[in-house]
Amino acid sequence: MKLAYINNEPFEITEEETILSFIKRYKGENLVPTLCDSPILDPFGSCRVCSVEVASEKNGKVKTMASCHAPVAGGQYIFPNSESIIKLRKNIIELVLTDHPLDCLTCEVNGNCELQTVAAQVGIREVRYPNGETHLHRNKDLSHPYMTSDLSKCIHCYRCVRACDEVQGQFILSMAGRGFDSHIIKGIDQSFLDSDCVSCGACAQACPTSAISDIFQSKSNLATEKTRTICTYCGVGCNLEVASYNGKILSIQAPYNAEVNQGHACIKGRYAFKFYNHQDRLNSPMIKRNGAFEKVSWDDAYAFISSKLSSFKEEFGPDSIAGISSSRCTNEENYLMQKFIRTVIGTNNIDGCARVCHSPTALGMQTVFGTGAATNSIDDLKDTNCILVIGANPTSAHPVTGAKLKQFAMKSDNVSIVIDPRRTELAKYATHHLALRPGTNVALLNMMMFYIISEGLIDTSFIENRTEGFELFKAEIQAIDIEALENITGVNREQVKVAAIAYAIAPNAMSFHGLGVTEHSQGTFTVIQIADLALLTGNIGRRGVGVNPLRGQNNVQGSADMGVQPHQGAGYFDVTDDEVNKKYSEFYGVNMPNKIGYKIPEMFDAALAGKLKAIWIIGEDVVQTDPNTQKVIQALENTDLVIVQELFMTETAKYADVILPGTSFLEKSGTFTNGERRVQAVRQIVEPFEGSKPDGQIMVDIINKMGFPQADYTPDELLKEIAQIVPFFAGITWERLGINGLQWPVTKDGIDTKILHKKDFPGGKGYFEFHAWEETMELQSYAKDYPFVLTTNRDLVHYNCGTMTRRTANEEILSEDYLMINPEDAKIKGIDNGDFVCVESPRGKVNIKAQITDEVKKGILSTTFHFPEIMINNLTGDIHDSEAMCPEYKVVAVRIRKSKGEYNQIST
Amino acid sequence: MSINLSELSGRKGLENSLFDKMGKLSQPTGTPGVEELKDLADEFLIGRANTYGTATFYDFLKPDNKGKKVYICNGTACKCAGTQQKVEAELGEHFNEDEIGHMTCLGRCHENSAFQYNGKNYSGNSIHQLADIIPNTIDPENDLSLDSYHVIVHGREILTEAFTNIREYYAPFIKALKMDSATVLEEIKISNIRGRGGAGFPMGLKLEFCRKAENDTKFIICNADEGDPGAYSDRYLLEKRPHSVLFGMLISAYVTHASHGILYIRAEYPEAAILVQEAIDSLRSEGLIGENIENSGLNFDFKIIRAQGSYICGEETALINSIEGQRPEVRIRPPFPAHQGLFNKPTTVSNVETLAALHFIIENGGENWKSIGTERSSGTKLVSLDSFFNRPGIYEVEMGTPLSVVVNVLGGGFKSKVKALQIGGPLGGLVPVSEIDTLAIDFESFSNAGFLLGHASIVCIPEDFPIMNFIEHLFDFASYESCGKCFPCRLGTKRAHELSVKAIRSDYKIDRLLFDDLLNTLEQGSLCAHGGGIPLPVRNALQYFEPELREYFN
Repeated sequence: MKLAYINNEPFEITEEETILSFIKRYKGENLVPTLCDSPILDPFGSCRVCSVEVASEKNGKVKTMASCHAPVAGGQYIFPNSESIIKLRKNIIELVLTDHPLDCLTCEVNGNCELQTVAAQVGIREVRYPNGETHLHRNKDLSHPYMTSDLSKCIHCYRCVRACDEVQGQFILSMAGRGFDSHIIKGIDQSFLDSDCVSCGACAQACPTSAISDIFQSKSNLATEKTRTICTYCGVGCNLEVASYNGKILSIQAPYNAEVNQGHACIKGRYAFKFYNHQDRLNSPMIKRNGAFEKVSWDDAYAFISSKLSSFKEEFGPDSIAGISSSRCTNEENYLMQKFIRTVIGTNNIDGCARVCHSPTALGMQTVFGTGAATNSIDDLKDTNCILVIGANPTSAHPVTGAKLKQFAMKSDNVSIVIDPRRTELAKYATHHLALRPGTNVALLNMMMFYIISEGLIDTSFIENRTEGFELFKAEIQAIDIEALENITGVNREQVKVAAIAYAIAPNAMSFHGLGVTEHSQGTFTVIQIADLALLTGNIGRRGVGVNPLRGQNNVQGSADMGVQPHQGAGYFDVTDDEVNKKYSEFYGVNMPNKIGYKIPEMFDAALAGKLKAIWIIGEDVVQTDPNTQKVIQALENTDLVIVQELFMTETAKYADVILPGTSFLEKSGTFTNGERRVQAVRQIVEPFEGSKPDGQIMVDIINKMGFPQADYTPDELLKEIAQIVPFFAGITWERLGINGLQWPVTKDGIDTKILHKKDFPGGKGYFEFHAWEETMELQSYAKDYPFVLTTNRDLVHYNCGTMTRRTANEEILSEDYLMINPEDAKIKGIDNGDFVCVESPRGKVNIKAQITDEVKKGILSTTFHFPEIMINNLTGDIHDSEAMCPEYKVVAVRIRKSKGEYNQIST
Repeated sequence: MSINLSELSGRKGLENSLFDKMGKLSQPTGTPGVEELKDLADEFLIGRANTYGTATFYDFLKPDNKGKKVYICNGTACKCAGTQQKVEAELGEHFNEDEIGHMTCLGRCHENSAFQYNGKNYSGNSIHQLADIIPNTIDPENDLSLDSYHVIVHGREILTEAFTNIREYYAPFIKALKMDSATVLEEIKISNIRGRGGAGFPMGLKLEFCRKAENDTKFIICNADEGDPGAYSDRYLLEKRPHSVLFGMLISAYVTHASHGILYIRAEYPEAAILVQEAIDSLRSEGLIGENIENSGLNFDFKIIRAQGSYICGEETALINSIEGQRPEVRIRPPFPAHQGLFNKPTTVSNVETLAALHFIIENGGENWKSIGTERSSGTKLVSLDSFFNRPGIYEVEMGTPLSVVVNVLGGGFKSKVKALQIGGPLGGLVPVSEIDTLAIDFESFSNAGFLLGHASIVCIPEDFPIMNFIEHLFDFASYESCGKCFPCRLGTKRAHELSVKAIRSDYKIDRLLFDDLLNTLEQGSLCAHGGGIPLPVRNALQYFEPELREYFN
């Protein structure tokens, strides 16, 4: 045990810790003041305020050291508050105040300013220096919809610069000039707006004064309440601290002690919250009569729905009714929705948006591992040597995880492999970028596995002990025609080989995948291959490895866990299994349906065939986001009763017969499950928007209305019910979730699980399954006449169909969709940057603005899909994943020309 | 310091140095264009703020440098000699005001009147021959940029020893390659040679730290950023004895298992960069660099990086940042460069003169070097004398040689009345002439007396030069050259300069308590020796010239 002394009192030290953290552990946070230090940044040593005196022996000669970066050593005698140190700190702060406005009372961060606190701590009473040169004249920068700066308040601690570098990895901020003239710059000394800032807000949160802040004044002392909750956007599941006053939300920050996001957030989570009380919010139930919506009371709406559903059930049977639940809603709400559809209506026609995103992930991973969820946690990045990122653009779609992956990829000792047709931001930093032709994932992964086997890099003992089916699999892989696949993928075989070897020889390799894997006709097969790769190389069952799907929506994992799937009920039990049916029926006290229900595309087909009479859609804009828009519209028009539960009048809501105003995550409590199986508490911040109700309460109301008992919506009571029927929720209670949640499975006594499949798989062994590549029917049928391949992507600024983000200042940053086109193609077609391009597929055409970039290869186009003005899904088709029916958004045969007309939506 | 920027810069390798590219981009106009900085950022996957932030740091990259054609030396020696007003006037005849910039010390301290034009330094009488210089038609028979100064040895001739030829000179290196590198390192440790850059850290230990750090990629950096105004002994070695430096780097590489050598040479020494490159080229043609040198398994090559005007780059971590193309702000330690230096790889940074000493040590053994000089300061040391001496020039003396011998015997005494010597650069002490007899050229003698040997440059302060003005000059320099990272130095040097200016120009009296607080804050609180060192000469001034300074304080 090594000891060091604080004011001659001995304390135990730990290895590789700084003097500052040593002192903080024993003497609290406040004994040593700091300014440039930050909990999530590397030590920097600029302010020197944390200086302490240190002697190497008792009564020895002392030396002044900055405690934030000086390592503690055994036998040190540390004096954190000697006379000389107290004087030094005071003198440093006095110098700082010679170049700082003393306008605290009118300052945005009055009362919550670190400089103010430290000045008070060291006891500054006067500034003795005569007036000298200052930087008080620096102008404010209010150019940006969110970010602000007032660099007259800057104390040069570099925390903003370091946050932009070490956390977000964006390098927007730096110092310019030197010495006394040095100053913070954005980009090439531009405004926030003109710079390439991604508005993650890390700098604003890091800044100890108001030198960099945001329009919400998130560091001000205005709020009376701060509530911790979970972000509603992507599946990363960032923890947010929401400041509110008088029933209104003021601002959002990211808590440093969040295991998921460690004080970081993105433009959506941190800043895009103003939709919550937007004037467009639906404020009353409505029923469409004679083609127009009429506001009605909740009772009237419930009565109308109840009588309609009862009569359809009576006349056409329960299977004439279907429900689409929402991954934006809480676990408890999803649970209630599927419970309603199964127990009250009596059908398994329940599905959710996972169908159009990660249904192949769930199915593929279940096939190989027996569990359809991420095997590891994002935190495992700290212990991995290699990342394989396939069909995902996390820096836009999962920004906080994306930033971590980018940080990883920037370090040259790490290996990063990106498989993506686009040169994504991550691809630019990657060791290997395999820029394959869209739709050839299966071919490329087979090539990789071919090389891993042929180079003898498989993990033989793992394969022997923990898998089955390898010999057959091996024979199939060895028989593939590399040359043919090289041509198919468009990726040089040597490049594939080098990447495959890099993945295989890495001591620990983690894979991450997104919708570029799943939204293909061979989506499930690709997921199976990714899982096969992990089995082949033994990258399963310990820290720093595994298969980690990047889930798209905040609660897409949770909705499936809760049974929002037509073939599996709550807890993933097969609805066709007699035992299961018996268990469910006993639990719910009704005869549960045992026939697999409709998947979403099947619901539309049934509607078109006249078999679907009613559909209840919660929080999903199927018209804008599902493929083949015109078909979806026809299906809705062909359904007698369309109930849409929503925040806003979406494209889908326009086709509703009944609209029920639901609430956002800020207005209710519950739980969300993030992409790493972490169930986290969502806590209500404000009352529901006037006229709306929490979606869970709506479900409770209708269940009661239709004659079934269900207590009012509260997450703690519902979690108790869920824990009884979903085994991996057995130990989850509202109280136990704490601030960082629990990763399922959670045992009865509350122990959670960071890593799955440590010793064995649910079915005992992992199962190898080979699939050969096949060209999608889309291209087989249409490539001749439609020679370009269009794929889709998200922009950082907007979330899916933009229902929420378009109603925030994000809209000022990006106000329309764009089409990425390679410079050579643009030249041939005579298209300039910003020109409208007419994109035509066998289903329809749209006009969209061109963005010329080498991020896409020749012959490939990519477009965002956030704006209803464009309705990009007029182009997408009916091809689905062969197994899970996830639509193939990622390969659409199109042709293009420079648009003659104006900006408008054309549909056929 | 940014780990990420180090990584991203390192990815491109030394051949594609970001900093080098910036230097090249600045050549046409004096500063890189904004579009060029953007492209460079995109190429390196770093921020535009980074390339712009770096470019604006350096005197010869920043936007203000645009259109500068000629630079006047404003180093301490030229300033004290009082020659530069005349230089400025003469240049004003040929150049517009905005075409004239400044460089801080061209190392022509022996004859002053120094300026740089078109990549060449001039001094002495050259200023009167501008009509011949400006047309830029160089007459090799009469190159006006060439200078000459005394090079005199007192005792053992080691660093100044004449160069013979490559095969002969490098024989000890080739012999060393056949020995165990641990044995070679042991000789260096035995010699007890301490770093000549100013800090005096034992060279053997430094090399050993780097040797022990496990990595396939390691770097040997020669710190040829001799920024101390008044110092030109490194310039002498680089220009006249370049092989001694290259030899030292090769040996360092062998004992640390490094395969890349970088000479970071200041912009103020353009001739040195050319001459060192010629020496490297001749080594290459002799097959002494490259892959598997002399079948020893050692791979090594050199690269010269030309600095762009910033004193702080002489600080080793700032220098590393500079080579990476980052802003040359001082890094915290640990991590030490031996573990995480250039591009986050193990790195040894050594001064020119320290490296130059290795030839003797390897050829004659560590004991031999150790036997020269004093117990704790072994070997010989170069001392540079400015134009106030009757015999200005470079002197090689054994450590322990009395300062009076250097001043009176070797330097031949002063040409005119001198009241103090600044020894060891701007962060070195201010030695009143009354103390000359008490000091000897070795680290301990100086530090025990409250001075600093530093790099052992000697600049005279003439009798008629007010000490308060000298203090003002020191703070001006310190403030101008502060990297700006740590609070005490960024703000403290500036305020100290303002106080001195105010006291000189008005009847303002500096509060002595405030001034002491300020000096303590700089000394105690600064991150590096720049802010930490500047109080030393000021305190010496306050101690030895109190009567002269009294009127400025209350």
